[in-house]
Amino acid sequence: MNNQVMSFMEDGTSARAALTEEMEQFLVFQCDALRVGIRVDCVVEALINQSITPLPMLPGYVCGIINLRGEVVPVISIRLRLGKPAADEQSVIVLNINGMQLGVLVDRVDQMVKLPHSSLLPMPSTNGQKLMCGMSSLPDGGTMLELDAAALLEH
Amino acid sequence: MDNGGNESILETYLYETNTLLEQLDSIVLAAEQADTFTENDVNEIFRIMHTIKGASAMMEYESLTTVAHRIEDMFFIVRERSMDVIPHAEHGLLFDMMFTAIDFFRGEVEKVQSGQPLSDDIGKLLEKINSLIAKIQGEAETAGAAGSAPSAQPAAAPVPGTEPGFPYGLRVFFDEGAGMENLRAFMLVTELRGICGEENFTFSPADVETDTSTTETIVTQGFVLFFRMAADRTGAIHVVSGSGSVRGYQTFDGPTAPAQEETKRTAPAAEAVRHAEQKSTVSAPKAAREEASPVKSAAAAPAPAQAGGAHPKESLISVNLSKLNQLMDVVGEIVITESMVTASPDLKGMKLDNFTKSARQLRKLTDELQDVSMSLRMVPVLGTFQKMQRIVRDMGKKLGKRARLTLVGEDTEVDKTIVDGIGDPLMHIVRNAMDHGIEETEEERIAAGKDPEGEIILSASHTGGEVIIQVKDDGRGVDYDRVLKKAVDAGLASPDAEYSSKEIINFLLMPGFSTNTEVTEFSGRGVGMDVVKKNVEEVGGAVVLTSEPGKGMTATLKIPLTMAILDGMEVSVGSSIFTIPINNIRQSFKMSGADIIHDAAHGEMVKVMNNFYSVIRVKDVYGLSTGCDEIEDGILMWVESGECTYCLFVDELMGEQQVVVKPLPNYINTFNIKQHGITGCTILGDGNISVILDVANLYSAIQ
Repeated sequence: MNNQVMSFMEDGTSARAALTEEMEQFLVFQCDALRVGIRVDCVVEALINQSITPLPMLPGYVCGIINLRGEVVPVISIRLRLGKPAADEQSVIVLNINGMQLGVLVDRVDQMVKLPHSSLLPMPSTNGQKLMCGMSSLPDGGTMLELDAAALLEH
Repeated sequence: MDNGGNESILETYLYETNTLLEQLDSIVLAAEQADTFTENDVNEIFRIMHTIKGASAMMEYESLTTVAHRIEDMFFIVRERSMDVIPHAEHGLLFDMMFTAIDFFRGEVEKVQSGQPLSDDIGKLLEKINSLIAKIQGEAETAGAAGSAPSAQPAAAPVPGTEPGFPYGLRVFFDEGAGMENLRAFMLVTELRGICGEENFTFSPADVETDTSTTETIVTQGFVLFFRMAADRTGAIHVVSGSGSVRGYQTFDGPTAPAQEETKRTAPAAEAVRHAEQKSTVSAPKAAREEASPVKSAAAAPAPAQAGGAHPKESLISVNLSKLNQLMDVVGEIVITESMVTASPDLKGMKLDNFTKSARQLRKLTDELQDVSMSLRMVPVLGTFQKMQRIVRDMGKKLGKRARLTLVGEDTEVDKTIVDGIGDPLMHIVRNAMDHGIEETEEERIAAGKDPEGEIILSASHTGGEVIIQVKDDGRGVDYDRVLKKAVDAGLASPDAEYSSKEIINFLLMPGFSTNTEVTEFSGRGVGMDVVKKNVEEVGGAVVLTSEPGKGMTATLKIPLTMAILDGMEVSVGSSIFTIPINNIRQSFKMSGADIIHDAAHGEMVKVMNNFYSVIRVKDVYGLSTGCDEIEDGILMWVESGECTYCLFVDELMGEQQVVVKPLPNYINTFNIKQHGITGCTILGDGNISVILDVANLYSAIQ
């Protein structure tokens, strides 16, 4: 009897593990011509038309701070961070990176995708992109770069 | 032993023990000043030791239990016999012993806190206590044997075995120097015979009629009568009080009563003897703990009575600080949300009489709520101040300097975080004052025309939104030449430049500066005053040193009352909004471009009240893209923080507001913008964020 239950459990968990192992979920956003994906587990929420309070004496890519329901969250512009020209971006994706909240200003939030784990490929090592940690083809034919969230916290 | 389940017990233990030790410390310090323990002190110490003993035994901290137990024993004796049993010459020893014991307890408690094993090496301390007890004991014995004070001692005098069947005792004392006491006693007996019958009472000494040597016994111990019935004794009392040359009488009941007196007297003595035999029980403290129980039961009875007396602490509860912080946060949010709701743009232009009325009521209540929750966090600085007493005392003994610490305004209340934050800085300053400030010898002081005993005044007071804490010594003061030389040696100052005395004294606050070349136990490690500065700045305060050569030095700490909420002035520069703490603002005024004075380096200045102040344009400092450029269009704010005074040029004043200070996110702090005068931010009623400016840092940033 006990054994039977055990085997059930094992079956169930292994099946689920197999599912998650295969699929990874990403939030894809647009930044200039790039399409960048972030793992959904670190995404808190996406905001539009949030007013950002600029702070002086900071590097250009740090846009300022926003009031997220009483909490003060810093916002950086992914365009400027990647060395691209600034544009009138409006969407902020709030991330939770190891307990630290950080807003990322992007051109436009694109879509949510589920990608099989095996389709995620490492960046070519010659590529100088420090903020990206992988890339993958999207079902609609485009290519997605995977953003390394932890690297965003470094200057 | 400190696993998860015990955590809260342990926490309570640590909290209680620390509180008790603090209390003990201040009692002993005060007692040392007075050179004696009052009855209250003795009772209090007894109670504290008893509590520590019990709690430590529960936590199985053997060494603590043993030491506390011995001290309890000692004070048990003192309590029974009053402070007089300790010869005056030994008082110093007693105080020293108490301080050693307190330090021992503190050390052990710290070890418990950090999870280190406790030390078993308590032999020396115990020996000290034991020898002191032995001394007290010896003193008590001689005092008892002499029986020189019949009024105090007779109750304890040995009573010959009471005859069974005569439970009601009466002890009669005759007038001092009345003479022929035996015959007076015999006359009393004859008289009593007529009242209650010979068979109904006995007396001692028995042969008063014939033996004149009984006189002495009667003089020292009184004439004792035993009655069969209580009524007879009552009758006898009438006779006794009616007859001449009787000084007084005493009644005591039952054969058990005198017996009890007897044991009460000998109990501590026997206890002490047992302890002396068991000096070796240190290694087997179990025995000592078991032994604790009889004393406990004996002590327990009077202790609660004492505690039940007038203890104002009974109505206090201890709350975890993090809960108070949480409350403060929530209250802050409520205050903001309240103004967000009542000032909502959606309500504009609507006629809402009832709403306005209710909103006003709500405002009143939230204000009250804020005041109350802020007052919850307020604690008097007394505790922190009292710790300094101990430092002055210990250092005075070590350095051979005589100094007293005077406390002024120790009831001043400040936010708990600030009290915690100023503990270390104060300690450093007081140590510095003792070590460097007060003259080495009394002769030096006398030669300078001062009281041979040095004085350090520690004062606290409120002014507006700040607490001012001052440490003032009447010592040598700062030797400017030496400080400057040292600063040059340390590479902090340039040898060619001229420095004002104010600038020189500020070198003391720089990292790596220490005038004492020798590293002493107390100061001179090269960390010190700069740590003071850092710690005080952490709680939002500032340190100012002033000195008068030969007269002493004063360190002034200016600390905001609370860091969580401040009264701010909202100012706008272009599209940005900044909050400037109200207590930094002296005045604001309009000026025209013609009033601006330019210096050679394109700096701008204005003349206010016959003084020149530099003008700092917020727009330029922070490189903002919008904002006024013409002096006529904006407004000048004369601000002041600590030592720096200048004028800030902003566009517009938007109004005064109480704001909840929010720290900047850690990510932002990694860019070090605090050094550019941005200390935090606050969320305004409309949900926008305003940046809080630190006037002092902004000034030093552009220097």
